[in-house]
Amino acid sequence: MGGFRRYLLRRLAQAGFVVWCILTIMFLLFKLMPGDPTAIFVDNNFTEDMIQRQRMLWGLNDPWWVQYLRYLRNMLLFDFGHPFFQNESVAEIMLDKVRNTCLMIVPALLVSVVFGTLIGAYAGWTRGSVFERAAVATSLVLHSVPSFFVGILALMVFSYQLRWLPPGGMVPLGGPDTLWGMLASPDYWKHLVLPGLVLVSREITGPILLLRSSMLEVKGSDFLDMLRAKGLGEGRIVVHATRNALLPLVTYVAVMTGILFQGQVLLEIIFAWPGLGRELVQALTHLDFPVAQAALYLMALVTLALNLIADLLYGAIDPRVTYE
Amino acid sequence: MTGPRFLDVLGRNPSAAVGLALICGFVALAVAAPLIAPYGPFEVAFGPDRSVPRLAPPSARNWFGTTNQGMDVFSQLVWGSRVALTVGLLSALGSVVVGTLIGLVSGYFGGWIDDVLMRLTDVAFGIPFLPFALVVIAMAEPSLGLVILLVIFFLWRTTARVIRAQTLSLKERPFVWAARAAGAGHWAILFRHIAPNVLPLSFLYVAVGVQTGVMLEAALSFLGFGDPHAQSWGIMLNAAFRAGAMRTAWWWVLPPGVALSLFVMAIFMVGRAYEEILNPRLRAV
Amino acid sequence: MDPVLALEGLEVRYATRQGEARAVDRVSLALAEGECLGLVGESGCGKSTIARAVMGILPPNGRIAAGRIRFRGQDLATLDPERSRELRGRRMALVPQSAMNAFDPVYTVRAQLDEAILAHGAMAAPARAERIAALFARVGLEIARLDDYPHQFSGGMRQRAMIAMAMALDPDLIVADEPTTGLDVVVQDQILQHIRSLHREQRKTMLLITHDMAVVAENCDRIAVMYGGRAVETGDRAVFERPLHPYTLGLCNAFPDLDDGGRALISIPGAPPDLVTPPAGCRFAPRCPFAENHCSEAEPALLEVEPGRHAACHRLDRIEEFRRRARDPDTWQTERKS
Repeated sequence: MGGFRRYLLRRLAQAGFVVWCILTIMFLLFKLMPGDPTAIFVDNNFTEDMIQRQRMLWGLNDPWWVQYLRYLRNMLLFDFGHPFFQNESVAEIMLDKVRNTCLMIVPALLVSVVFGTLIGAYAGWTRGSVFERAAVATSLVLHSVPSFFVGILALMVFSYQLRWLPPGGMVPLGGPDTLWGMLASPDYWKHLVLPGLVLVSREITGPILLLRSSMLEVKGSDFLDMLRAKGLGEGRIVVHATRNALLPLVTYVAVMTGILFQGQVLLEIIFAWPGLGRELVQALTHLDFPVAQAALYLMALVTLALNLIADLLYGAIDPRVTYE
Repeated sequence: MTGPRFLDVLGRNPSAAVGLALICGFVALAVAAPLIAPYGPFEVAFGPDRSVPRLAPPSARNWFGTTNQGMDVFSQLVWGSRVALTVGLLSALGSVVVGTLIGLVSGYFGGWIDDVLMRLTDVAFGIPFLPFALVVIAMAEPSLGLVILLVIFFLWRTTARVIRAQTLSLKERPFVWAARAAGAGHWAILFRHIAPNVLPLSFLYVAVGVQTGVMLEAALSFLGFGDPHAQSWGIMLNAAFRAGAMRTAWWWVLPPGVALSLFVMAIFMVGRAYEEILNPRLRAV
Repeated sequence: MDPVLALEGLEVRYATRQGEARAVDRVSLALAEGECLGLVGESGCGKSTIARAVMGILPPNGRIAAGRIRFRGQDLATLDPERSRELRGRRMALVPQSAMNAFDPVYTVRAQLDEAILAHGAMAAPARAERIAALFARVGLEIARLDDYPHQFSGGMRQRAMIAMAMALDPDLIVADEPTTGLDVVVQDQILQHIRSLHREQRKTMLLITHDMAVVAENCDRIAVMYGGRAVETGDRAVFERPLHPYTLGLCNAFPDLDDGGRALISIPGAPPDLVTPPAGCRFAPRCPFAENHCSEAEPALLEVEPGRHAACHRLDRIEEFRRRARDPDTWQTERKS
């Protein structure tokens, strides 16, 4: 157990280091950016005095290393300040957006992993069958088509032409705005269907292809014959094989979560889903840097957290892993 | 990879043959763009009576119809292939070269060099690419060069890790010991003995790189952060989206999306066939 | 008394790219109650295939082309899959090759032993735990190790756990397929001791498959020598003491004899026969130093030479002379081309 604790600490330290790097890079970017952040607001009516006062308010006159340390402290405490263009604090806005993004990502991730595993494992087990070939072919196609294009197509067909599903947004105005309220409202689910399915269609291909090749490798294992010799039924043997085939998936999920935000950002824009991604893009378009910074930072944190969890999960699932 | 084996794989993977044909098609399209496209990428396709045909459906004159600004969609599609190929190739080659070098050095020398380089890759892995790229582009000027640089920055990490693992195992092989016993220096061993054995694997990542590069450029352009001077397929989709053309002008929306899909699919197929050559276990019996 | 296991003209074939390989070609054997029959031969002679056919775990490209496998009278070849499954593990059990990773790496050893028991009927946890503990004790393994994973066991320990698992439901027949191959000599001896005790103390009927003549000599009541998918000699211990077939002579030569320390180890030159298109006549003729033209023309039948001893050779009349000549390394030098 000591080995595990040390490993955990090491990974946490690693993650911390990465966060620090990201924050520093962001800080440098903002500092090196051409132009003056106040320039957005400044117009000819501002006097030099007022400009200076604005700069002081934002701490822009302090020596850069003081700004840097203050920046780090704020970020670590999730104190993102106030957006340039809105009244609520950035942290409050972010909380909502994080929740909204999770409301799309989490169901999609779960469905992709669970169904992807089942389909992929079955495809690998029944190698050469029609099911396997169909599953592989479909996955290859879905993997290549850009998810935002699928999203656009889905919108065009199902929303505009057929009018089966709403064209965007998460819940209509005046609808529930608490987590559980949303989960309970059929409106949320109706709005989730299209973007969720598009996200799943992309994300599911990974587990399917991975489980399939993993299963193909496992099928050649000696212990499967032994299981048959023990008189176990085919069903139980498939379970054994799948348990073994799952191992690479855990590492893959870590990679998957890193790429997940890509699809998420695009789909949030297409379907006008009020999540972190959409917030980031809108903030950047309006040059609202506090919001943009916060959004990027939060996304990085979520990615790192998921990576770490996947890493540790791998150790839990494969008994052969030791922590040195 | 010998000739007959290559044909063997193509025979077993008809999809790879199709992919190869598609790629040739796209390359031909890109190279012969000036000859094939009736209009320039930003040229308005004036009608015979000097009118601007806005959002015109496909016709004999405009095979894929026109945009809301009266530009010929077909021409834009053809010119877009140039951007796709450029971005794809440059970002793929760049990331593979960087990734391979880092992987080789890291794996071979080990020690603190390995540690430092691997820390760097860890950092790179922790950053969610698209949001980060958006921020960088928002700070600077959107340009194709910047996009390519960003993609290289994103892609090298995967190649580096894989090449490093491969180098680590190759390092212990007898032929390396023999070379060292014969007095070869580190760099000679690295480049004359190990690198050639690692290159086939690197090559596979060129395919991955092209796919990812093109997809990422398309994503960035679609969100409005692409290079406005390059008429890429992603930019086309962005224009269509912003003009609300999805409700009506399917001829504007479908071609760039389909082109993107076919391009990526073609590279993917070829890549998979190539992977099968490298790893015989994946071969169908 | 009826034999526990009887092979009647068994033919097993594998579909390969080059055609159908006749891995087992018309083999007939019988195994009586409480008897240990040793199947000896080099790799590819068909002995492992027989083990798999008996256990019903032939690979997908293998099939029983002809003949019968009678287990207590029932023909296993024509049994429906469900009945077949019921027998496996319950009435007959396999102890696999030690080189195999026959345990599932992601489950504990205890879980896999439990599974072996539960596959054939319910048993409450306490009863199972008791039974497993007894099984482990019998093979000399610590109970505490039950909750470890297979990779934490050494090769010898794994084999002992395999033996314990095979005995879980007290089967009528134990098929041991190369149980000591790949283990170092000291561990081999340990495992063989356990196998011997299964046979002698618990009176288990066993089919012991190996390429090692010495193992068979020590542990088996009866021996069947196989070559190229056919049984070329069968009998009791006399097979080892006074072989009747040139191939058996070669096999005996290839293993060190502690009594005769000065004797050189002689191996049989040449390669096993092609099983897809076997040579005409005697399969061993191409490599046999005593073969003559007639041997490559007609295949010798397995004849009863003495009571309880069968051999398939055209030149049985000269066997005394061959036994003497087999001791001389020069006899085996020239590889005869067929």
